[in-house]
Amino acid sequence: MRIVHYVNQFYAGLGGEAEAGIGPRALEGTVGPGRLLSQLLGDEHEIVVTLVCGDDYAASNTAVAEELVGMAREAGAELLVAGPAFGSGRYGLVCARLVAAAEAAGLPALASMHPDNPGISDAGGAPVVAAGASSRQMRPTLQTVAAAIAKLATGANLTVADGRVARAARVGQLVDQRAAARAVELVLRRLAGDRESTEVPVGGFDVVTPSAPVDKLASATVALVTEGALVPAGNPDRLESARATRWLRYPIEGMDSLASGKWESVDGGFATTAANADPNRIVPLDTVRRLERDGVIGRLHNELLVTVGNGTQVASARRFGVEWAAELRKAGVQAAILTAT
Amino acid sequence: MEIGAATRYEQHQLVVGREQAQALFADPALAAVRVHVAAPGDPTRIIAPLDVVEPRSKGPGGGVFPGWMAPVNRPRGGDTHVLRGAAVLAAGYLPRNQEGLIDMSGPAAERSPFGRTNNVVIEFDRADGASWQEAEVALRRGLLRLAVHLADAAVDAPPDVVEELAAPHRPGMSTGGLPRVGAITNLQTQGAFKDVFVYGRSMAGSLPTLFDPVEIEDGAVVSGQYGHPALRNPTYIHQNNPVVAELRARDGQDLCFAGVVLCPEPVEQADKELVSTHAAWLCRAAGFDAAIVTKEGAGNADNDLMLKVDALEADGLTAVALYAELSGADGTGPPLVAGPRRGAVVSTGNYDQRVKLPAVERALGGTRLNIADAEATAAVDVPTAAILGALSPLGAGWLTCRSEQQQLAGQKLGGAA
Repeated sequence: MRIVHYVNQFYAGLGGEAEAGIGPRALEGTVGPGRLLSQLLGDEHEIVVTLVCGDDYAASNTAVAEELVGMAREAGAELLVAGPAFGSGRYGLVCARLVAAAEAAGLPALASMHPDNPGISDAGGAPVVAAGASSRQMRPTLQTVAAAIAKLATGANLTVADGRVARAARVGQLVDQRAAARAVELVLRRLAGDRESTEVPVGGFDVVTPSAPVDKLASATVALVTEGALVPAGNPDRLESARATRWLRYPIEGMDSLASGKWESVDGGFATTAANADPNRIVPLDTVRRLERDGVIGRLHNELLVTVGNGTQVASARRFGVEWAAELRKAGVQAAILTAT
Repeated sequence: MEIGAATRYEQHQLVVGREQAQALFADPALAAVRVHVAAPGDPTRIIAPLDVVEPRSKGPGGGVFPGWMAPVNRPRGGDTHVLRGAAVLAAGYLPRNQEGLIDMSGPAAERSPFGRTNNVVIEFDRADGASWQEAEVALRRGLLRLAVHLADAAVDAPPDVVEELAAPHRPGMSTGGLPRVGAITNLQTQGAFKDVFVYGRSMAGSLPTLFDPVEIEDGAVVSGQYGHPALRNPTYIHQNNPVVAELRARDGQDLCFAGVVLCPEPVEQADKELVSTHAAWLCRAAGFDAAIVTKEGAGNADNDLMLKVDALEADGLTAVALYAELSGADGTGPPLVAGPRRGAVVSTGNYDQRVKLPAVERALGGTRLNIADAEATAAVDVPTAAILGALSPLGAGWLTCRSEQQQLAGQKLGGAA
């Protein structure tokens, strides 16, 4: 098969975070992990072109996926392989969008990333095989990818046995016993020594390691972002009051504060009266402008990024986080103040 | 149940006296109220339901809803008359009420405890010049009065069922080797329209307290909380605390019912930690071997559950929590926002799962369903989150979630059997 391989700027050897803003490009033959993948694939399959894009550029621009699929088509791809992205959020999101766009366009595609990668849900129905958590697992991951490619070439579908990440849906259903009765059953089972039984798996929550403090705050660009649903009065873009599926951006350039009556919180999860009386208490524009004037921070980023946290599912929140990080990095922002409600 | 000239109860039929009911809502904050009834099976949708109360009375001397309709220092216990199968509720716009619905037939009726009750529904108009807070207090008092008024009508009727509620097992009493299991009931305490009242007072700022479950059955806990409809515990659910009821059902056979601890759900992290630590200590001091922990609300409230389960398990108690899942419409997202590191979790269903509801003939409480941007009677597609009590945090509902693999395993087992 003629394979087109997608990697980010880092694995293409074009640079680290400083180069994350570069746009899409095609390189002849194999690059970076593609070299080992090519060896593992043997002679039957050939990586003809490697597509590359900077993580920030690609993650903050959803149209890039289609552009890259078009480039893969031009290169005569019979299969598009993206990653492995391991646990990297932006890279994983782009790989997932890319294989989803390829499949939608009728081009077979395969991505690889860690099952906990925040981007994984964007792959839709396209196959994703599991990668390790970091590039230390490059070789075993590429062995999985190579075996998956060989199987796809036979026309077979990938299964969990091939390392495919199963999107095991949790299906809601009505049962005879109400939840309180099931809780009593469960507590009795646990008291009898069964420490494993549970209806929902427990544990497994991320611990976010804080970044190092900003080195030179007086020259840093700082952004304001919020999950408090603060939007222009009247909510012209119809941000949801709960269960957000998207985020919005609003210019705050030249504004010294957020005027009452011009902004409102549409969050359905807290009493908004005080917030609407002084929107600066949800997004502290007044204070941060003062810090900017006093030279405590270098500059305030000219856009406010907004979503609503109320009832928003974890997968969406993680995706917003990845997209915001890419967006802010691309804009040269060094620090963000995320206000929550 | 029907509406008539005067309230009376005869042979399992309740007639709700229209003018008598309206008079119970007389308040300067309300311009008018309208009284309707809706029965299971009716092609009726109730839009924007507020609180729901079960009709109960202790007879002519009063005594239910202490702190609201009776002094707290009255004699406790004695007989309580319950109009089982009936409920009174208000419905209509209130600014902090997250819009939900009850359908009296179809899939939403199967999912809500209030699709299965005969409901007296109060629609209302706020008086000019009255604040929404004043209207809300007037509605709450009116609902409690109406609940007592209806139950009073049946006080002389012979009971169909007599339930004797045993007192909780006290520490030091012999258990015959059975484990002592109690309930921790978290109450939401987030200020106006987000508050639950204990003896008429907000529990905000309080420490957890061991509480007489008979007092809860007699209405010591009253809801003024209008967040996430599916994740609410209306007064009716407290009066019938499902965890306490299920513990009592096994009392003396598989366990000893050890009691109830009421806790606030504070909004500050340090307060959450304080309340959780203190609750765990209280359970230990009260001799619990295990506790079932419940909440009200989502996100913020999930942390209260998580911290309590972890605190209990760290103290050597066995803990089980009831959570609703938020795994997205297709169920593939992570199910919990915050979850315990230990213990076990019962699922009350998926908040995001869509439910298709057929059109109905009549709507009460409003003419539009804003969350679906549709006429109130239209066929709509809503998240489970919108159906009142469908994900009941106190375990009154029948929903759960299973992963596809679990279902496959279950099918195999079923086939083998």
